[in-house]
Amino acid sequence: MDYFLNLVASGLIFGAIYGLIAIGFAVIYKTTGVVNFAQGEVMMFVLYFAWMVGAWVDAPLWQLLLIAVVVGMIFGALLERLFIRPMIGQSQFAIIMTTVGVAIILRGLVPLFWGVESEPLDSPIKSALFEFGPVLMLGDQIFALAFFIAISLAVWVFFRFSRIGVAMRAAAHDETAALLMGINVRRLQGLSWMIASAVSGVAGVCYALTVSRAADMWQIGFQAFPATILGGLDAPLGSAFGSIVVGVTASLSEGYIGYGLKEISGFVIIIAVLMLRPYGLFGEKELERV
Amino acid sequence: MRTGHAVETYPRLLALTTNPVTWAWVAVLLIGLVALPWVVSGHLLVVSTSILIAAVGVVGLNVLTGTTGLISLGQSGFLAIGGYACGLLIKEVGLPAEAAIPLAGLITGTLSLLIGIPSLRLKGLYLAITTLAASLIITHIILYAEPLTGGPFGLRIPDVSFVGLRISDPVGMYFTALIVAVLVALFVNNLMRARSGRAWIALRDHDIAAKSMGINLVSYKLLAFFVSSSIVGLSGALMAMQLRFITSDVFGLFLSIEALAMLLVGGVGSVAGAILGAAFIVLLPEIARNLLEVFGWSGDGSSTHVFEIRAVLTGVIIIVMLRIEPDGLIGLWRKVKRYWLQWPLPI
Repeated sequence: MDYFLNLVASGLIFGAIYGLIAIGFAVIYKTTGVVNFAQGEVMMFVLYFAWMVGAWVDAPLWQLLLIAVVVGMIFGALLERLFIRPMIGQSQFAIIMTTVGVAIILRGLVPLFWGVESEPLDSPIKSALFEFGPVLMLGDQIFALAFFIAISLAVWVFFRFSRIGVAMRAAAHDETAALLMGINVRRLQGLSWMIASAVSGVAGVCYALTVSRAADMWQIGFQAFPATILGGLDAPLGSAFGSIVVGVTASLSEGYIGYGLKEISGFVIIIAVLMLRPYGLFGEKELERV
Repeated sequence: MRTGHAVETYPRLLALTTNPVTWAWVAVLLIGLVALPWVVSGHLLVVSTSILIAAVGVVGLNVLTGTTGLISLGQSGFLAIGGYACGLLIKEVGLPAEAAIPLAGLITGTLSLLIGIPSLRLKGLYLAITTLAASLIITHIILYAEPLTGGPFGLRIPDVSFVGLRISDPVGMYFTALIVAVLVALFVNNLMRARSGRAWIALRDHDIAAKSMGINLVSYKLLAFFVSSSIVGLSGALMAMQLRFITSDVFGLFLSIEALAMLLVGGVGSVAGAILGAAFIVLLPEIARNLLEVFGWSGDGSSTHVFEIRAVLTGVIIIVMLRIEPDGLIGLWRKVKRYWLQWPLPI
């Protein structure tokens, strides 16, 4: 039982980090209909850049987080303006391949500037130790989990209650009608990229804190994929839930069945789930009219 | 001056090409390809072989993604099945390469139905992610099925000969790839003009309309999966023979994305475009290297970074190509041709 609980706890932590990236996927998909294949790479780039800035000013953890959010927002806006907006009107396939191109570029740029060695992010928070019955958790793990919950809630509140969030949902639902109602759809799409990049910046900080930073951390982006799909690509909160499921399943399957299952268990789940619900657990079913 | 393209009879509509000049150009191209080993050698010949192998794979992917409109990110998984099937058939069963290569294709095609059947319910991105999941699971199984595949220690393919061509010899490997590539191009071009190709295009453009015209969606989607993956399996078999040593790492996710990039850069939906795209993307690192040398960035001085710079250039060129020519290289070619034919009239 203790073993089980500890596995669940470690699954929750990884699920939380996948979840932060999955929210990024879902926010962009919901407003623009584009799957950003560069989400993991954006996370890596924002983290490295924020880390560099943070090292200049010798920032503690909370400042580093702020820097990551600001860098993420600027970077997201730049990406959207430079690469995605000029592609409007072309096939979805072409836009997705553009994000793949961005991913390849970022993957090359990070080792070019900052090298390939992995480096842990040090913070006094890491030495804190929490005991929940038989489960031991470190301060940085609690930190990642807390941020995941906070951001999931914030995203939910944002889409549910804020004026901009409602406008985003309207734009996602029917772009033409939203335009006619006076919503600046292009600006909202830019904003969704900013939000997604900022959230993935936070994800990057959490990952660097709980594990370390390395030039191949973009691969977590692929781990977050099944989480997003499981919850439904257009459901940010569903994606967050999906990532917890994926994280815990990954941890349990590795602990009980065998080594190496961690990477693929999420994909096994989504194949099973998509057979029953082709639009994910919480995704909206697309109606087709002829 | 050719002013239009009017087809008056059904046989002409179904012909591979209505223009006899095309046959002459194809003959010239074939002679050029056969003569290539006498013109170039060493590294360039190996690169040419890689282009042919990649072209076979992309022509296969084009059947599924370009013609039938089912976006697949599972290319690397199918390549892995083909490569391992071919390697195991040669090494463990002792089949000659002439039998092992086509059998590897058929095995890949048959296994792909396992992925194709559940994918019938899915569309667009959800299908892409499912095929991605399938390819990850395939490479995982290969990695952990150690008694059969050698697992992390890889699989070494013995030196065999294909219709008298030794695969350890670069020239022999080049001709092996060339024979397969030409046969595949001819086969797919023939499929495209026949009932199946037309059915695929119809169900890509509007599946409900296609269904009401009497096209069986289930069987034609599965047929597309089977044909496409069989061809990709051939490409995987050739990859295994060229490398002579494969592990599951060889068939990483990047291969799937690269194949889609090739398809997109070349031009979605056409066999010629797929081949052009494969040639372009395989040559890209070579072009990038030469460019870097022109700017005095020789390979040895800062060799640690050349790999990254090449990756960045590849990404930039993919984006630039998508931005300036969405129809791909084949679209560019058609534009040039039309300009040439219509001159001095504007297009």
